[in-house]
Formats: sequence, structure tokens, C-alpha cells
Amino acid sequence: MRRTSPTHLSNDGATPRRASWRGRLLGVAACVAVASLGSSCNLDPVHRAGVNGLGPEEADLYPVESEYHRPGEPCALCHSTKGPADSVFVLGGTVFWGPDDYNARVDNAYVRILDANKTKRCFVTNCNGNFYVRKEDFAKITFPLLVSVERTVKPLQDENTLVIRRMSGHIGREASCATCHIQGLRDFASPGQIRMFNSEDEFKAKNVPLVACPPPPEFVQVEKCPEDRN
Amino acid sequence: MFALSGRSALLLGLSVLGGMGALVTGSTSCASAPDNKRFTEILQPDYPTYRAFVDPYLQRRCGTLDCHGQPGRAYRIYGFAGFRLYNIDAGLVSGQQPTTEEEVLANYQAAVALEPEEMSRLIATQGTDPNKLMLLRKPLKIERHKGGPAMAEDDAGYKCVVAWLRVRTVRPTNDGVDFETIPQAEREQLPLRARQDCEEAQNFP
Repeated sequence: MRRTSPTHLSNDGATPRRASWRGRLLGVAACVAVASLGSSCNLDPVHRAGVNGLGPEEADLYPVESEYHRPGEPCALCHSTKGPADSVFVLGGTVFWGPDDYNARVDNAYVRILDANKTKRCFVTNCNGNFYVRKEDFAKITFPLLVSVERTVKPLQDENTLVIRRMSGHIGREASCATCHIQGLRDFASPGQIRMFNSEDEFKAKNVPLVACPPPPEFVQVEKCPEDRN
Repeated sequence: MFALSGRSALLLGLSVLGGMGALVTGSTSCASAPDNKRFTEILQPDYPTYRAFVDPYLQRRCGTLDCHGQPGRAYRIYGFAGFRLYNIDAGLVSGQQPTTEEEVLANYQAAVALEPEEMSRLIATQGTDPNKLMLLRKPLKIERHKGGPAMAEDDAGYKCVVAWLRVRTVRPTNDGVDFETIPQAEREQLPLRARQDCEEAQNFP
């Protein structure tokens, strides 16, 4: 049967009348509305459950809704194209001093990334130990990655190495360090939080001062790694 | 419409119930008893070669915690730097103790059991057309692979895996109708070139 365009007969029953332009416009508007609803809402139940599982922000532990927030949590769960955060991270995590203490985090540590194309980039942790790589900061990042973390004796003043750690394996494709480096857990499926020392005592013996966050006025946030300063 | 008396309705209901019961009983009693002597033999690739040369490479290349070092994967890899074989006595922790023999064996079993029939075909034909095996189809991206291309045919790692699959472990029986396993002492060793490929691959990335 031949399909015809939607027409109606006019009142006199003789000449066909096209569907009104208002009706068509309404149809287009409805389609646009459904499409925007689909793109703005998170329709992936697994992702939504992961985000909800993080729970609310904790103001007594860190400055909320800031670059210092949620240390030790999987950054790229929210900072992904699925949201709900606005910025997209291709890599992000938190560096701790020891294996257990959640409150001892490494400021001004140099996180060096070597990707599969042998491109090197270095990023610096903030006062809460967080570092993040926005999509625009490393647009052509190609997994797998090799990562090392270095903390110098006194960043900007004494750049001799205090401690350096290198991952024993590579990162296959995960953008959140905390997906594998689960904070507060060391077992058959997680090596535990990213740490500079394998014991808290080892860290305490170094007498490294901890920095409050948000930082006091005298704190100097290093913007670039030594190799990127010239 | 038919009008049924109370007695007729009851009889009808009982008949239907009886019929269903008979059907269920009949269908279950018709199934043959399981035969615990019946099994399908899988022709397996060489384990010592896998343990010495292939496993260290596959652990490094594929076994990270964000890829195949996960419990939910059909092809699951255990190892020192990734997922550990759960053992409450050994208390294995990711990144601490060296890879155990049980973990290597579990990795071997995972590789073989991924496609046992295809693996048998491959071993029976001495590694002919290895890219039919999912273990290679996925990393070569002949088939969709979430982790993207992880091997190429000119990679040392790929050559290492293929060389392992070509180590003869079975031979036809005298009557030519079946295969028999070649004793370990009589098996050929991995060629020198393949060993070098494996050693190069173990340094990944």
C-alpha cells in the first residue's frame, strides 16, 4: 500500500489539507525535549549507583565542592562524560604519606605519567594530596600508562628527592586511581591507598610537616614540576 | 457460553491438575540419568612453557586490576601486581607476595577454559590458524575488546603466545583415530627465537 503524507480533507471534503505547521512544530519540540532529557539525565544505572554510593560531601573532613574535596575517592566516576561533575578527568587521584592514615596526604608531590606513545607529563598534588589531569591538559593520552610519584625535600627550595615510588604494573585503562587503590583496604583485590612509605612509622621518622587544607597563606602551591619550569 | 455445575467444575479442575502433574512427572522421569564417566577431553597446550615464558608476559600485559585482574572477567588473571587468588591462609595481598604456583595454574586454566573446544582444535592441529582463538582474537581486536588493541601480529608478545600454542603436546595414536598426550620428557622445547620474544615481551611496557 502506498504511503501518503499526512493529509486531511478540508471541510468541503474535496481538497486535501496538510497537517498544520503548529502540529509539526510541536512534534519536533517533543523530540528535542526527549533528547535533551536523555542527555542531561544519567540513564546508566551502574554509573548512577556508583555515584550515589560515594555518599554526600563531608565538610568536617575537607573543603567541599573544591579541588581539595573527596581525597581517596574515585575522581573520574563523577568527572567523566557521564557526569555529574562539569570537568572531565583522564586521570586523577590522591597521594598519601603512609598506608593507613587517611589524614596524612602529600602536598606538592610530582606525579609523572608516561603514556603508550611515550609522551611524558608531570602534575603536582595540591595541599590535600589530590592531583587531576583534565582532558584538555593531556588530550592525546593513550593507555596503558606508567606512573611514578616523587616528593622532594622541600619543593621549590630543595628539590632533592625525599622519596619516590613507581608503580610495579601499568594502568590499563582506568582514570581513577582509587578504583584499584582503595583507601583503607589492602587485600587480594587492592594494593591500598597510593602511599610514599610502606609504614606509618617510616613516614613519622622523616618528620615531614603536614599542611592544612585549604592551605594557610604562607603555603606555596607548586604549579609545575622541575622539568617544566624553564 | 457453557454453564458448568459445581460438581462438573470440580471434576474439570481435578482433571487439569492431574494432567499437569502427569506431564511434569513424565518430563522429569524421561531424562536419562547423568553419566559420571562421560567427559570431553580437552587437548591442552604445554604448561611448563606457559609457566616459564607466557604467564609473566600475560600477567604484565593483561592482568592489571583495571583489566583482567578482576573477579568478574571470564579470562581472569592472578598475579603479584594485580588480583590475588583468594586464600585465607596465604593472605595474599596485591603488590606484596610473589606470584604463587596456584595462581599461575589458575591463569593457565583460565586461558585454556576460555574456549576449550577451539583450544583443542588448535592443539590438535599444532597451532594452525591461532587467531581463531578468542585469547588472540580479542587483543588483536579482530573481535570487540573493551581494552582496545593489546597485541599486534608483529609484537614479541603475540609471537611468544603463538609459539607456546605450537609446542606439540599431543600426537595421533597408532590407529590414527585419537590423540595421545606426549610425555613431558619427549616434548620439544620452545625455539630460541621464541624464548627471546617472550623475554622481550616480559619487559612490557
